[in-house]
Amino acid sequence: MRTSQHQAVEPSTIGRYGRALLDLAGSVPGHGLIEVDIRLPFLDLRVRAPEGPMLDAVRSALLPSTLDLPSKAVEVIVLHGGRDGVPKPLGWGQGAYVPHRISAELRAAGLQGSLFHDLRFWQFIDLAAGRGVQLMAAPEAFPPWEPGAPLRAFLHWAYADRGFRLTHAGTLGHNGRGVLLAGSGGSGKSGTVLAGLLNGLKSVGDDYVLLEADRGGVRAFPVFSTLKQDPAGFGRLGLASRIGPRPLNWQGKHQFGIRELAADGVAEDLDIVAIFLPRIGSGSTRITPASPREALLALAPSALYQMPGERESGFRFFSGVVNSLPAYHLGLGTDPAEIAGAISAFIEAGAP
Amino acid sequence: MPSADVIVDLLVPYAPASPDIAHESFDGDVVVVDLANGKYYSFSDSGSAIWLALAGAAAPGDLIGLGVFADAVPEFVRRLCEYQLIAARPDLAPAPLDGAVAERLRSCSEGPDVTVFDDMADLFIADPIHDVDEPSGWPVVKQD
Repeated sequence: MRTSQHQAVEPSTIGRYGRALLDLAGSVPGHGLIEVDIRLPFLDLRVRAPEGPMLDAVRSALLPSTLDLPSKAVEVIVLHGGRDGVPKPLGWGQGAYVPHRISAELRAAGLQGSLFHDLRFWQFIDLAAGRGVQLMAAPEAFPPWEPGAPLRAFLHWAYADRGFRLTHAGTLGHNGRGVLLAGSGGSGKSGTVLAGLLNGLKSVGDDYVLLEADRGGVRAFPVFSTLKQDPAGFGRLGLASRIGPRPLNWQGKHQFGIRELAADGVAEDLDIVAIFLPRIGSGSTRITPASPREALLALAPSALYQMPGERESGFRFFSGVVNSLPAYHLGLGTDPAEIAGAISAFIEAGAP
Repeated sequence: MPSADVIVDLLVPYAPASPDIAHESFDGDVVVVDLANGKYYSFSDSGSAIWLALAGAAAPGDLIGLGVFADAVPEFVRRLCEYQLIAARPDLAPAPLDGAVAERLRSCSEGPDVTVFDDMADLFIADPIHDVDEPSGWPVVKQD
């Protein structure tokens, strides 16, 4: 593929550019790429990437599954432009980059894709072929959120194609049953997950979890191990003494893995029995009914915004989830053990 | 943008204004999303019932006289048109009003109302290349 630094991608050419990068990824011989295979729920992921921070993130942030589930193979090839004959990534031209419309353009070309413009960080996938390509300008040239959820866009596209959804939500569970925690930043969602993990509950993740909702219930599976907590919550929960100091991430939060906090804290999967909408409160924890409408408004918008493409099917998916589960407001108490106890008791008792 | 001069024709059916308008009903409780701009719309009980009636291709005029809030139907339909959620379809024949929806309208306790949630809207519609503040970058949307 020949490209010039003066070329730029436009809405009318993004499909061709994506296809050219995929062809390139399929034809590059080795190029010093390291092969990493990770068995995720419903997905056999093969990553071919140069050694570097992106591959480190893939190794540390993705959670291999031991479940025997019908899986599809997907390969993602990470390339660094300007190295080993790989052209440097092109920039974007003058045409409007409206994600909704770009997604439609790409779908017409049999692709999905996205661009993080500041870094010329391109991602394309051909779902029919099970192959994706990520072209980066340099080994460190990735968006700051990428190490916490590496290759998230590829996983989102691959899962959405099969009727699943990567979902922006937290989870807590006990004995294979659990609750989904949905809410915007500051609602107490992540602190609740940490409180549960510190007090014997398990989780399939915070931030992003995989949901399956087509076998007569809602099941959640772990994909990423990443947990985050702001310095205030980190101090309040006494986490420094458990996992030690570490630099803050791009959001000014501490970032660490579930197993760093609780060695056996990862559940293989959870049968979700309810959606909880946490709210910072006082006194003791209270669980009171919420409407499906409130649950949808807590669950769907951020999940749809943070995942490129597939907005309508995502809205339908989350509507289906909300329709099949009871929803509750979770008025959070101030004692982590009491919060965990209230959630555990709810799960034990079963949804009313 | 809302238009101030929408005229509601009570005799024709209305339909979603574009393929980007999607709705779901949870036991009659309606949530509408505009997939193009990320805005969500939540309705009162009579607002939900009116939406479901219109989604069933009933003409707004057929709703007048049902329940204590029926007189507010034309104004509510005008508001939905202003939000560009629905548009008149004079090319289509109106359908009879569904009996369950009619009963729901009769039993409503709240006037027709709609709440707009636009927390994500700026991020949905922004062009992350041309519409962001350069020093901050995406996702900080440029303020005019």
